[in-house]
Amino acid sequence: MTEGQREPRRGPAGPRPAGGAGRAARGGPRGAGGAGFEGRRAPGDELGDLLASVARGDQDAYTAVYDRTSGQVLGMVLAVLRDPAQSEEVAQEVMLDVWRSASRFNPDLGTASAWVMTLAHRRAVDRVRSETKSSERERRVATSSIAYDEVAEAVEASLDRERVRRCLGSLTPLQRESVTLAYYGGYTYRQVADLLGLSTGTVKTRMRDGLIRLRDCLGVDQ
Amino acid sequence: MRFRRSDPHTLAAAYAMDAVPPPDQARFERHLAGCDSCRQEVRGLREATAALAAAAAVDPPAAFRDAALRAAAQTRQLPPADSASPARWATFRGRRRSAEGYGRPARGYDLSAGGYGRPAEGFGGRRSDGWSGRPGWLGRAGWLGRAGWLGWLGWRSRLVVALACVLAAVAVAAGVTTYGMQDRLDQAQRRDLTVAAVLTASDATMMSVHVTTGGTATVVMSHRERALVFTAADLRALPGARVYELWLMGPAGTRPAGMITVSGHGRMVGPMVVSGLAVGDKVGLTVEPAAGSPRPTSTPVLMLSLTFSS
Repeated sequence: MTEGQREPRRGPAGPRPAGGAGRAARGGPRGAGGAGFEGRRAPGDELGDLLASVARGDQDAYTAVYDRTSGQVLGMVLAVLRDPAQSEEVAQEVMLDVWRSASRFNPDLGTASAWVMTLAHRRAVDRVRSETKSSERERRVATSSIAYDEVAEAVEASLDRERVRRCLGSLTPLQRESVTLAYYGGYTYRQVADLLGLSTGTVKTRMRDGLIRLRDCLGVDQ
Repeated sequence: MRFRRSDPHTLAAAYAMDAVPPPDQARFERHLAGCDSCRQEVRGLREATAALAAAAAVDPPAAFRDAALRAAAQTRQLPPADSASPARWATFRGRRRSAEGYGRPARGYDLSAGGYGRPAEGFGGRRSDGWSGRPGWLGRAGWLGRAGWLGWLGWRSRLVVALACVLAAVAVAAGVTTYGMQDRLDQAQRRDLTVAAVLTASDATMMSVHVTTGGTATVVMSHRERALVFTAADLRALPGARVYELWLMGPAGTRPAGMITVSGHGRMVGPMVVSGLAVGDKVGLTVEPAAGSPRPTSTPVLMLSLTFSS
């Protein structure tokens, strides 16, 4: 993760302005960008087909689902929580959720990727909010085996990433800040309003305008 | 509240990003239930947020992968949401608990026909402050009567019908929630079964009392089930640093039985399920610090002896 993501207020750089950009895609089944939203397009929602197999207990299909989603899940959770050890824990829970509740995925309601990422984001945000509530943020020793800065350097530059960056760049600064603080920051719209010194009404509108613009720029399913 | 003054549509993006705090969330979900275009919009915006996640991807280590695959191999999967089962609450009326009726997880109304929610399962994991719909089965002085006991014969059928209305309202709200609710639903389902068991128990008894600081509490209890269902209406709103806490007090000791946040006046609270009743227990309600308290620290605003009918 980079500062662009962690400190969305600093500038319009988008989620990850440096690091892997320009690096050649390495390919391979576990490529982090993997089957990003490039591969999520219905009706050929390949990930959705795999999930249907997972729902029937197919472990090979689960391995494939894991390889396509775990990088995004871990990366997003890490963006929200920042603590590597905690993020790994939450990401593991999410991946187990995917296995457990694959039968509950309903392709009529959205793509498989959106389903997985919603599971993941909800869990990350729940963790943030329960911690804030107990106000005793557990201080973990960094037991993580991963040096994320190195990982960030090594992460392939995916088309998805470039595209999202470009689209985030097309938002107004307020729209971008509202969206990134909510999504990557895990803040509620009220907290975002406080952070930006704006009314909640303004923030809600900026979030909506920004996310709609992002959606349209990305050309995702609607 | 604030919500009503503004156009609820504007919350779609915040909702898609899980950025709506619980009280607003419950309201927005009720709005979603009747707003096709809003559901469509949330759906499209969720796809956009998935792209935001994709942009944050990292390369997880092999150890992470091994652990995930091992965990999956050792974990039983959930069955598909049962969309074929009819609205089981219709069969609920006044029936005794039976193995057939309650042995399996409860399913509420099947909203899948609407194309959006998956079948709602029982209580929708709502928090107490999500109950502001005030379905009105409490606080109807007409049949609730004033404080005190009511005969069980008449109230039970009315209660079951009224509860079915509550469940329907909640099922609508739950049915429109999208993903990530499964844990909460599973939890709610268990609670749901206990509520059903208490209400249909042969020794179920209902009592209703005024809370000294305002509002009415109603308890349905079953000694046989060793459980009670607690609801309240019109509890006085407390400042943010305080909550209501429910207790069981008796020869078996004083045990905390749950906390209640009342964010606005006039809200309905519950149903809360309290299990583990012991003979001689009373139900108490006190005002405690927001984090709750292991022991009551203030004078109860409600104290109700649980008399056991045999």
